Amino acid sequence: MQGHSFWLLYILLLVPMLIFRVVPLLALKHRDLPPKVRAALGLIPAAAFAALVANDIMQTDLWTGDPLAGLVPVAAILVVIPVAKRSGSLVWSAVAGMLAYACLSYAGASLGW
Amino acid sequence: MLGYVAIGVPCGVMENEIGIGPLSAFLISCTFYSGAGQFMMSPLIISGTPLASIALSIGLVSSRQMLYSAAFSPFFASVRKRLSVLFAATVTDESFGVNMERYGSDGAWDERRATLVNVFSMLSWASSNAIGSALGSVVDLPLDVMSFGMTSIFACLLVGQLDNATAAVVCIVSFIAVGLLKLAGAGGVAIFAGALAGIIAGLVFEGVAGHAGA
Repeated sequence: MQGHSFWLLYILLLVPMLIFRVVPLLALKHRDLPPKVRAALGLIPAAAFAALVANDIMQTDLWTGDPLAGLVPVAAILVVIPVAKRSGSLVWSAVAGMLAYACLSYAGASLGW
Repeated sequence: MLGYVAIGVPCGVMENEIGIGPLSAFLISCTFYSGAGQFMMSPLIISGTPLASIALSIGLVSSRQMLYSAAFSPFFASVRKRLSVLFAATVTDESFGVNMERYGSDGAWDERRATLVNVFSMLSWASSNAIGSALGSVVDLPLDVMSFGMTSIFACLLVGQLDNATAAVVCIVSFIAVGLLKLAGAGGVAIFAGALAGIIAGLVFEGVAGHAGA
């Protein structure tokens, strides 16, 4: 990709991103929101993080290529959950997750998955 | 912020592969500021994907930012516009979780502290990207392992949210919806639509549970 094409792409990505980030907050901040809307806003964190985790661990390998390789992130996240529950630490959760993922990937490769 | 170092450096290494130098990597990371979006960018460009398709794919993945922005609106009702814009423009997945947790548990948490969390996270991400780009092809990092660090951070933030039955319903439905969307080949909208499905299910569950309890 040429330099000018890249910067055009950058603008095409930046403008919608700023709109997504800024407009909802500015549009809603002065409104007296109905209870249902407030309840929906309160559910966003759980929904967003569940969707992010699901998106990362449910890889297409699970149902197309190599199911055992696709299970590595699923198994690794099962290691992270008790660490997160016990420590409540983002750093320890990240360390546990990366170690579990690396070990499981290595074990899988050694076993010829 | 440490999580951003772990994934920011490999992201910068990938950006170097498409000719983005340290200064540009820093600028892009400070303004576009999207881990998922920046990770997607390099492989799509290298594979020769048309510019419009790249913009659309990354734009769809970024659409979840609308939910984050809307979720913060009750906390910014009396905050002046300039600070609200600075805060909103610097929200991302991890800082969203940290600030939501603080707003929920710390009565003294305010917009200034929340914005500082955002800005320091952004600078941490941008610096890590610049370092990664400077290191370039000199280092060989296990990208999949390092990016799983961010997945683990999301899991930790999710665990912190699961404190009642409604949250559990939201989580289960979001998981199932994302899986079904990816299975149907709609991976680009999976995060946004999956989260939306979870929120709707949570509202229905609260309505049914409230009705049964009345």
